Amino acid sequence: MANSKPTPTRESFAQRYRIRFGHLPWYKRYEFLLPLVVTLLVIGFLLLPPLGKPTPAQWLWIGVFFALLILWVVGVLTDIEKPRWIRAIAAVGFVFVLGFLFYRYSGAQWDKLTTNFFNLSVMEGLWGDLGQGLLMTIKLAFVSMGISLVLGLLIAVLRSLNNPILNVFLIIYIDFFRAIPLIVLVVFIFYALPFLGIELDPYLSAVVAVSLNYAAYVAEVFRAGIESIYRGQVEASRALGMSTMQTMRLVILPQAVRVVIPPTTGLMVGLLKDTALTTIIGLPELLYKGIQNTIWQSNPTPLVAAAVLYIVVLLPLTRFSGYLETRSKKWVKTAR
Amino acid sequence: MGEDRALMIDVIDLHKYFKDHHVLKGLNQKVYKGEVVAIIGPSGGGKSTFIRCLNRLEEPSSGKILIEGTDITATRTDINRVRMEIGMVFQSFNLFPHLTALQNIKLAPIHVRRMSEKDAEERGRQLLKKVGLQEKASAYPDQLSGGQQQRVAIARALAMQPNMIFFDEPTSALDPEMIREVLDVMDNLAKEGMTMLVISHEIGFIREAATRILVLADGCIIEEGTPNEVLKHPQHPRTQDFLSKIL
Repeated sequence: MANSKPTPTRESFAQRYRIRFGHLPWYKRYEFLLPLVVTLLVIGFLLLPPLGKPTPAQWLWIGVFFALLILWVVGVLTDIEKPRWIRAIAAVGFVFVLGFLFYRYSGAQWDKLTTNFFNLSVMEGLWGDLGQGLLMTIKLAFVSMGISLVLGLLIAVLRSLNNPILNVFLIIYIDFFRAIPLIVLVVFIFYALPFLGIELDPYLSAVVAVSLNYAAYVAEVFRAGIESIYRGQVEASRALGMSTMQTMRLVILPQAVRVVIPPTTGLMVGLLKDTALTTIIGLPELLYKGIQNTIWQSNPTPLVAAAVLYIVVLLPLTRFSGYLETRSKKWVKTAR
Repeated sequence: MGEDRALMIDVIDLHKYFKDHHVLKGLNQKVYKGEVVAIIGPSGGGKSTFIRCLNRLEEPSSGKILIEGTDITATRTDINRVRMEIGMVFQSFNLFPHLTALQNIKLAPIHVRRMSEKDAEERGRQLLKKVGLQEKASAYPDQLSGGQQQRVAIARALAMQPNMIFFDEPTSALDPEMIREVLDVMDNLAKEGMTMLVISHEIGFIREAATRILVLADGCIIEEGTPNEVLKHPQHPRTQDFLSKIL
């Protein structure tokens, strides 16, 4: 007849299955595989020997269980055709099981670890004191950041003038303060300068030491930023009659800042962490408070708590610098 | 013939060394107001160095350069004042990438000529219109084509109201279809009587607009004359050789 449409036929079960689920056989498909493996793992867990030192036979069982687990997880993780969530579950589960095995059979003294380093009752009365320390750390860090950025910029700009006599002094400054350990500098400023008639309290000593130290790093980063600007920019600016300083202020620095922001944020993270070194002159900042409380309580939990506070403050900063880095990559690309 | 007109540039025995390399070997040259001087010659001949010595982007090693009567090699001369009167257009445009087209043009008038923000803005827009880019005022350089960037660069040079403009191979970095738009702008400038020094190998433009050609080779001016003389009847064998290669 004129009707050219093929008559619809009913697909076989196998055809419909393939259309619905693709071409993998059932034993390679995660909908079937996952419950199976999970069931096996649960049974394996139940069969694992109880807490304590295992006998050799039990070690064997743990080993076999462990090997199977690794095989399966590696299989899942490396199979990129599997959906992401299933690989995520495999990874998390793997870490979890590993942790569990370690917790149960390593013979570690968990209770002692907890009472010494993660003692919640010690931690409870701590936060007010540590908070004060944190405030001091932040105050010290931000004041030093301000000073070192301004001083570093000044040094970098002065260096870009390429004055041979000035450069000698600047290079000596930069090399000296980059080479000297900050902790030595802190001690020197607090304990040695009084003999020269300069007496600074711990806070000012800390500010001076950290600022001088980091100004040297900042100066180097800024100098690299300034030198990264294409020479033609300077020529175009000078040819228009702009002075060296106008060229620096209006043409070079606005471009250099974009190049320099990510590494500078990184430096500032380092600065905040390095304020801990001023503990040595008794400045009541975060680490000092941590150590003090550790001594009072005869328990190092306060140190752990202080570390947690450092991480809480620094984590956003490090993320922020990572974000700036990706953004400035775009920026710098368009700046050519 | 030019003697009754104002003397803009007077170069007397200009030498330039880069370390031991003798780049300019005693150039003498006078440029009068309204002249359009095209400088041609093989690469490495010293064309760029010559033009860059005239506003001291390169320091001359010896010799004298008078710009409108001011000796720019003298130590007490404020070179920035001299540079205000000399526009410069570069091969690689050198627009400021962090500023828009209009801001690029406004920057120097505001900070060097101390022009008011409003006047500079107005003048900037006029100049953008003159180079045919009035609708690109707020575009950043990376949003413009090469030809458009070079036209903005010319407008930027003009914004300082210079008495002369130097062009250092203004079209060599451009795609062929963009050369015309830049040359048109330069053509108009020449017709308005601007004093121009142009390093270029765009023979059509030179024939049309230049009043004089200098041929620079090995740091010497080997030949000089009107476009007609130099392009049609080159005397020096090196000029003949060079022209036969580019024509």
